Formats: sequence, C-alpha cells, structure tokens
Amino acid sequence: MKDSLKYNLRVIFVLTFISLICGFILSFVFNSAKAKIKENQKKDIYRAIYQIADDCKNVEEKSINEETIYWLFNDKDELIGYAYLSQGQGYQGKIKILFAVDKSIERLLGIEIIENVETPGLGSRINEESFKSQFKNLKTNVPVECVKFFPQKKNQIQAITSATISSRAVVGILNKGIQNLKNLIEENDR
Amino acid sequence: MKELVLIFISTVLINNFVLTYFLGICPFLGVSGRLSSAIGMGFSVIFVMTFASSIAWLIYHLILVKLNLVFLEYIVFILVIASLVQIVEMFVRKYSPSLYQALGIYLPLITTNCAILGCALFMVARNYNFLEAVVYGFSAGLGFTVVLLVMAGIREELNYCEVPKVFRGAPITLITAGLLALCFMGFSGLIRA
Amino acid sequence: MIGRIFKEGLWTNHPIFRQLLGMCPTLAVTTTVLNGISMGLAVIFVLFFSSLVVSLLRKVVPHQVRIAVYTIIIATFVTIVDIFLKANFPQISKALGPYVPLIIVNCIILGRCEAFASKNRLSLALLDALVMGGGFFWGLVTLASVREILGQGTILGYKILPPSFNPLIVMVLPPGAFLVLGTLVAIMNRLERIK
Repeated sequence: MKDSLKYNLRVIFVLTFISLICGFILSFVFNSAKAKIKENQKKDIYRAIYQIADDCKNVEEKSINEETIYWLFNDKDELIGYAYLSQGQGYQGKIKILFAVDKSIERLLGIEIIENVETPGLGSRINEESFKSQFKNLKTNVPVECVKFFPQKKNQIQAITSATISSRAVVGILNKGIQNLKNLIEENDR
Repeated sequence: MKELVLIFISTVLINNFVLTYFLGICPFLGVSGRLSSAIGMGFSVIFVMTFASSIAWLIYHLILVKLNLVFLEYIVFILVIASLVQIVEMFVRKYSPSLYQALGIYLPLITTNCAILGCALFMVARNYNFLEAVVYGFSAGLGFTVVLLVMAGIREELNYCEVPKVFRGAPITLITAGLLALCFMGFSGLIRA
Repeated sequence: MIGRIFKEGLWTNHPIFRQLLGMCPTLAVTTTVLNGISMGLAVIFVLFFSSLVVSLLRKVVPHQVRIAVYTIIIATFVTIVDIFLKANFPQISKALGPYVPLIIVNCIILGRCEAFASKNRLSLALLDALVMGGGFFWGLVTLASVREILGQGTILGYKILPPSFNPLIVMVLPPGAFLVLGTLVAIMNRLERIK
C-alpha cells in the first residue's frame, strides 16, 4: 500500500516536472520569436500592397472593430484607397488574399495571394500573374463572378483550367472581403 | 443551418480526412483487412472525434486564447486527446460492457491516430464556432468510417483475387486506396461556391 | 551493433517502405521535392532531440506513464520547429501548413523513442535517430521526385522534361500519392527477393 502511494507520487511528480520544464522552454522560445513572426507577416502584406498599388507611397494601419484596414496614400499624401486582408477555405486549406480598392470603394485595384496550400501545379496557379491580373479594375458594386470559359460580362473572370474550385474560392473570399471592408469603412465614417 | 450541412457534406465526401488529407492512414491500412474490425474501429473514431473536437474547442477558446497561451496548443491538444481516450475507455467499460466488448481493443489505438489531432487543429485553423466544431468532428469521424468500411469490403474481395507476388500485402492496399481516392474526387463538384 | 543500425534504418527495416510508418506526412507533403526535403529535415530534428531527451531520462520515467512523457517531449520539440520555421522560413512554414504539428503523431518518432531510445545508451540512441531519420528522408525525397517529375515535369522547380511532355496531373493530386507509394513498395519487395 505504502509502495503504491510512493509510486503514484513519483508518477505525478515526474509528469508535472516535465510538463513545467516543457512549458517554460516553449514560452521562452515563443517570446523570442514572436516579434520576428509578426514582422514576417507584416512584410508579406506590405510587399503585396506596393505590388498592387504602384503609386502608393505611404501606408497607415487602422483597426476598426479589431480588424486591420490599410489606408493607402500617394506621394502627395492624398488618400488613394484601402487594402484589406481576407481569408477563407480553398480546396486543400486556408487561402489568404490581400486586395486593394480605390478610395470610393467602387473599383478594385488588384489582389495578391498571401498564403495558400493548394495543389502545386494546379490550384497554386492562383498565384500566377495571368490569373491575378484579371481582377484589376473590376467594379465592386456587383459581386465578382467566376466562369469556366470566356468571360463576357465586366464583373466576370475566367477560372484556371482544372482548378475551378481554387479559383472559385478566391472569388468567394474576395467578395466576402469587399463586403466586410465596405461595412467597416461605413462604420468608421459614421 | 446551411453552413452546418455544407460542413457535413464537404467533410464526409469532398475533403475526406483519409483520402485528401491522408490523416489516419495507419489505422486505415491496419484494420481495413476485415469488415468486423473496421466497424468497431470506425464507430470508436466517430465517438472520440466528436468529443475531442468539442472539448478542444472549449479549451482553446476559453482557456488558451484568454490566457494568451496559444503556443501551447499542440501539447495541450495531444494531452487532451490522450486523456479523453482513457476516460472514454473507463466510462464505457463501467457503464456499457457490451459496447466495451465491441470497441474496447480499438480505443487505446486511437490516441496515435493522427486524424483526431488533425481534426482539432483544422477546427481551430478554420475559426469554427462551437456548434460547427461539433458537427465538424462528427462528420470527420463519419467520413473516416465510410472510407474504412468501403476499403474493408474491397479488401475482403481481394482475398479471392490472384495478386502478383510483389504486390501482395501493402502495395495492393495502397493502390486500391489510390483508386478509391480517384473515385472520391468525383464528389468535388458536389458543392458550388 | 552499429552496422545493424545502419542496415536496418536505411534498408531492411525502412520506416516508410518496410514498416509503413508516418504515412500521413509521407503522402501529404510529397507534392514537390522542396516540401519533401523540408519535412524530412523537420522530422530528423524532432527525432534526434526527442531521442536525446528520452534516452537521458530512461531511468527516471515511471513505466506506466512513459508514453505520456514521450508525447509531451515530442510535442515540445515539434512546437519549437513550428515556431522556428514561422520565424525564419515563412515560405516553408506556409507550404507545409498543418503537417508540421502533425509530426507529433508521426508513429516513427514515438516508435523509435519507445523501441530504441528508452532502452539504449545515449550514443546509440542518437545514432539510431539520425539513421532512421535519414531513411525517412530518402524515402520522402524519392517519392516526391517521382511525383514532381511525372506531375509537373520539374525537379526542385527546374524544368527537366521537354515541353512536349504532358504532365500527369493525377500525380500531384491525392490519388497519385497512393499509387506512387504502392508501386515503390512493390519495387522494394522485388529488390528484396532478388537478394
């Protein structure tokens, strides 16, 4: 009886001790890397913003309802538009896209894919210029549509061959993001 | 409601855990040899996965996020799953001996089933709310079971086939799984975004 | 002993082709060679340090809770790898996505800790970890090369097949992973029988 108590105490002691040490090590590693991880994410977003809006010279971050919106300014310090990060499910996993609109939120300036784990060679081709450039200058008053062949209307883009699901996912995430951004800006103006 | 149905269909058929994410392959290859053991394993997984997903959601959102300890996510999840399996095993043994007889030997194996941890991690990554997390866990388990049963059925038939010597055992099973994955890709057009 | 470790880890007891362990990352991340290499290195790192700690603690840990202790140790090192990749190699971290945390349940690591590191002295445990990790690594790279060459006509992103080659798209999709691995295991069986 006494032995089993002693054994149990030892089990509890070893488990607690090891968990504590692991917890300490992890919190130390995490805290030392936290700044760098944040900086990496920020760098990706800023690179994308300057890629989309080439006349953008200065970016200001502002959070509304705990969501970050990027305000874009040109070299004369005039507001030229907004950028916003939107995310959702793709075919294999999460897709994050950054898009920018002009200051009246009527015209799309363009999109960049920040993160995707789509199938290499198929879905991951949403990263290619020929796909992304289709979004330049689309109107934002109607939702963007994704068609398989020959877009005819002004708000349509052509899906990538054999990657329709990923293309549709991008369009869906974009439409959701535009709606979000409109609501947030409206709230801010009020 | 529509969201929940969408999650259900896409997790069971389109983004099946075994065939598109390759989660839970070890038990999938291990116990799919006989239909009876596949049934036992399948139901244990549904059971544990639903619980694991809900409890992981509660712990993540009510404890880890509140205390800023998100980086402990992996350790906490794996421990939760391991203890959950133990508790479920004890509970079933005490209150339902008949169920224990059916699931008993499969429960300990589940701890090392990567599908359970994968389910908890994906559930967090997709920002599901509590109800969605429960449905997600259940449908992921169901998807696993469906594929496991289909596979077991095929493999029982395979026993009567003349398989080339080098392909016997693992290779033919893997190739069968590949063909099954090809079939399940047909479901990918089921939901239009 | 040392010779046996090498022979078993790299060939006769190969983790992927013989024991069929760690299938989840093996099949999921081998769409490109680069992903295969990164996953292989991550697994070697986790395996090495987990074996180190497990071997050091082998006389301290009570028998009944050894699996729980090993799991905590493995999960710690996996989290470290995850944080390290996010901080220093964000591209690789994005490409491997959720499969980094899933290294925790990779049966190779728990299997080696339980079967070898917990029973042998430090130097042997470390050697075994490196060799087994090496075996896993070459398995991943082989599988990834076949899939990338046939599926995209490239290797490490460089085109090596002529443009007239029409990529077999199925190879980079999930079914291709099963088909290629099945064939590779059959080839290994064949080689074994010649000997």
